[in-house]
Amino acid sequence: MKKIKIFAVLGIILAAPIFIAADHVDAPGVAGSTADLADFYAFEPTTGSDNTVFIVDVQSNVLPDLTYGTFDEDVLIEINIDLDGDLVEDQVIQAIPRDGTMYFFGPFSPSTTGLDSQVNTSSALGSVEISSTTAITTTTSNGVSLFAGPRQDAFYFDFVRFNEVLAPSPEDNSGFNVPGTDTFDGANTLSIALEVPNSLLGAPTAVNVIGLPVYKTWVTTNRRQ
Amino acid sequence: MKIYNIKFLFAALFASFLVVGCSNDDDGDITPPPAAVDFSGTFSQVDHLGRPGINTVLNGTADNKNMHNRTIPSNMSATFQAPFEARLEALHDAYAIALGFTAADVDYENNILGDILNGPEPTSESNPNIVSATVLTTVLSQDVLEVAPDFPTTYFNPGAGAPSFDGAIGFTGRKLQDDVIDVSLILLFGGETGARFNGEGGFPQLVTDGVSLTAGNITTSFPYIGAPE
Repeated sequence: MKKIKIFAVLGIILAAPIFIAADHVDAPGVAGSTADLADFYAFEPTTGSDNTVFIVDVQSNVLPDLTYGTFDEDVLIEINIDLDGDLVEDQVIQAIPRDGTMYFFGPFSPSTTGLDSQVNTSSALGSVEISSTTAITTTTSNGVSLFAGPRQDAFYFDFVRFNEVLAPSPEDNSGFNVPGTDTFDGANTLSIALEVPNSLLGAPTAVNVIGLPVYKTWVTTNRRQ
Repeated sequence: MKIYNIKFLFAALFASFLVVGCSNDDDGDITPPPAAVDFSGTFSQVDHLGRPGINTVLNGTADNKNMHNRTIPSNMSATFQAPFEARLEALHDAYAIALGFTAADVDYENNILGDILNGPEPTSESNPNIVSATVLTTVLSQDVLEVAPDFPTTYFNPGAGAPSFDGAIGFTGRKLQDDVIDVSLILLFGGETGARFNGEGGFPQLVTDGVSLTAGNITTSFPYIGAPE
């Protein structure tokens, strides 16, 4: 009985199309579209800094035939920040492009949460011209740095071998190769970046697995209906 | 000396039941966009991302991958923990069979994080490693990225390793340089040492994909992520 289940699972794995980590091309509903999230980074820029950096990558040219190169005016990017650990957003930052400029809104406390959003025009943060190769950045009056434009995809992963590793056989059961091959070497992505004073987000009461106070964050793309 | 305590894991797992909501409405100075720009309309969620690789690696079907992108984080554990655990065990079973064993011979082994959390004493019945497949997939199914505003960012670093784990730190954010795939593989397949299935002794290499950072354009100033190639 167990083996039947196992082979059914293996069959699904073998039949599935190729999906790529981190989140590039992760699901058929969004894969390769202008709203396809690729990566999300959140970090302290320097030790002791009072700011947090958020970088969101959408789209990728890691594979041919993927949509890449232009931010979609029908796609709203949202960075969600949970302060108290209930996994519901307490602060939201929005970004949406219009005519070569990326407009940012927030951080604001949303009046409603869930899967549908409107642009919170009453909480305008600032805007920045969408860069080409050379980065154009701006800093708002309340100390938030903003950027939007094409960037080098920093993610690295031997995804070609990964898809083989998922389906081992008696002839190929050795797992990953060392060294492997970075599938993302040479790939680009579209990034938005913000460096935000922590004072604008508030102090978290949520803690991570080792007990340190953390923002619990996630990013979404949202398409205009 | 280990700096962690088992209570923290429980605190993290159950914080959502203990804390009431709060809000912070400090918007700072407001610079309105030009009134002529049209931002009207309703925008409906199509993609979600917290920790890297979760949807890709642990959701095994196209339907679940799509559903994951349309699920709010507070509902994720209820929806995805069980399928994630089944997927984790199925991957172990697949290797068992490919190596000539039976599926029952190879299961997930409580991992290095549990060994860190249970202190310097060896894991035993009285000092258990609690990061079971169920615990791990419960945490991972809550697909959010944790970032500590007041601590250096480290995705995961076991420090000196077993048994002391001196300097171990992690789960405080994700930098551009972090090897998130290797960390994920170690937590999923590395067992209590982090080195189970390390390619030695006739076993497969499942704790590293064998690649390191190739992006050479990362900078130390904003926007940090490097110029396109």
